[in-house]
Amino acid sequence: MIEALLEGLVLVLQWKALAFMLLGIVLGFWVGLLPGLGGATTLALMLPFIYTMQPVEAFAFLLGMHSVTATTGDITSVLFGVPGEAASAATVLDGYAMAKKGEAGRALGAALASSLVGALVGAVALAVAIPIVRPLVLTFGSPELFMLALVGIAFIAALSSPGGRGMLRGFLAGALGLFLGTIGQDPQAGVARYALGTLYLWQGLDLVPVLVGLFAIPEIIDLVVRGTSIAGAAPAGKLTRGALEGVKDTFRHFWLTIRCSLIGTFIGIMPGMGGAVAQWMAYGHATQSARTAEERRGFGQGDVRGVLGPGAANNSKEGGALIPTIAFGVPGSTAMAILLGGFFLLGLVPGPDMLSKHLAVTFSMVWTIVIANVVTVIACFALLNKLAQLTTVRSSLLIPVILVLVFIGSYTSNNHYGDLVVTLVFGAVGYLMVLSGWPRAPLVLGLVIGKIAENNLYISIARYEAAWLTRPVVLVLIAITVAVIVYPLFQARRKAAAARA
Amino acid sequence: MLVSGYGVVAAIAWPWKAALFPLVIGVPLFALAAAEALWTLFGTEPASDEVRDFQLSIGNDTLRRTLTAAGWIFAFFAAIVLLGFPIAVPLFVFLYLKLQGREGWGISIAITLGTWAVFYGLFDLLLHLPFPAGWLFEWFASS
Repeated sequence: MIEALLEGLVLVLQWKALAFMLLGIVLGFWVGLLPGLGGATTLALMLPFIYTMQPVEAFAFLLGMHSVTATTGDITSVLFGVPGEAASAATVLDGYAMAKKGEAGRALGAALASSLVGALVGAVALAVAIPIVRPLVLTFGSPELFMLALVGIAFIAALSSPGGRGMLRGFLAGALGLFLGTIGQDPQAGVARYALGTLYLWQGLDLVPVLVGLFAIPEIIDLVVRGTSIAGAAPAGKLTRGALEGVKDTFRHFWLTIRCSLIGTFIGIMPGMGGAVAQWMAYGHATQSARTAEERRGFGQGDVRGVLGPGAANNSKEGGALIPTIAFGVPGSTAMAILLGGFFLLGLVPGPDMLSKHLAVTFSMVWTIVIANVVTVIACFALLNKLAQLTTVRSSLLIPVILVLVFIGSYTSNNHYGDLVVTLVFGAVGYLMVLSGWPRAPLVLGLVIGKIAENNLYISIARYEAAWLTRPVVLVLIAITVAVIVYPLFQARRKAAAARA
Repeated sequence: MLVSGYGVVAAIAWPWKAALFPLVIGVPLFALAAAEALWTLFGTEPASDEVRDFQLSIGNDTLRRTLTAAGWIFAFFAAIVLLGFPIAVPLFVFLYLKLQGREGWGISIAITLGTWAVFYGLFDLLLHLPFPAGWLFEWFASS
């Protein structure tokens, strides 16, 4: 095992593999920065180029590119409030709020350092989990995956707004997100649901135009209203000095970063859940880590823990997602499904062979994730001061450029004008939600998780009828869901009673 | 309530396979929306504004500035649809910088050219993304 681990490292450090990895990192760096251009799309575009490569070179190239997109996606989220990747949307909530307070450097430092910790945790999980993960994956069938989706919604809905009414609104937003996820042709009977007579909606709502509209448009409107730079009247000099503070924050909240990394890895392992889910689960957990109501109020207003959680999770999920891909040939996400295509192009068959005959190649993937993230974080830190200064550029210069990125990013999802309409509609929805104090996070998680939840619910009922509700892991997950809902209410009631006394 | 009500009524006509999830979600969604509506009408506890999200800036001129921003966003969308991305991108960037930003000629032209170069170089030349001509050109071509 140790021998294969070292052999994997030697393979990755050969000049050709290293050169391809660096090329992949450069591509992934820019893909991550640009909204709409997703890691999965770029993987698909680059797949034809690996025909002539050796397996180690090909995976160094593809994984090197893919594993840095989430890291640099966080940069766009923090600096401009526009999610660079679908998996970086949660970072907008607190990361951009920090940038507006003049703490862009600190937010970027925290995002990068937590991304690195997350990637390392994911890589270690990949290295150690392969022999022991089989029983875990097999324990989670469709009923458990459906309940896991509900736990996620309950987490984020219960914690995104305080009090009974806040929770009601959280669940309402989450349910609306799940409902919006049903738009389009259903996978079982082929009925075009809520398509409003348009062909565009047959394929359902694409995540990127929705996210870009929901998060970027309200921020752009607010930037026009303020008429200042993103950092506004924040004290000069604070911007770039905070990067080290952000790194310190990562170690100050080290266990939170590790826990969120483990959440990301776990979600990554679960087939079909994906990075967009992992970050929101981690954000929900980060808000839960607040000990007092006062602390909890800081989330969404620029609490660094709201950056650390998603930052760690959206990088650790890569290692996690590779586990079922390599071990069983079951891709954990769209990107992994494309990567699986890469396996077959190179003549490799995922499964037992990857854990015995090709173990060194498997470990070379672990090393690629580690090295690619270390290189990216070092490169980003070198550019950090310049990047953070973008938040001091006056808004009249930034807004047209950001709007161009928003519309192109949205359009590139399907190359259809319908993407732009979706962005505008969800831009209006996002603005109204922020204006009237409704949480956006549960809506997004509901939409992200909707299709997965529907498939798993259908399979659960078709396969087990009502008996799926009595499976032990399902019962545990139901108990967790109830606890997540009841605990904040109980806590609020106890505090109110204490205040009265 | 309207959205979920429509969703549930529409789903009833579908085969159960297609209707299952919309009904499982639509009915609780309707109930939650009804609870929120009742709370708004008859509740005594005001909705907390402590949402874990950012707060919009409020100033003297908020409404006018908000409408201005929405107007520019919509105008850019209209320009893309009517003229196509290759013309709408430089046109919008330049007009925004000159009319809304009141920037100088030099910086407006430089940023417009820079944005267009990135758009053309990356998305058109390198990635070959299909950016169709605007509807105006299609209409002229067909007439």
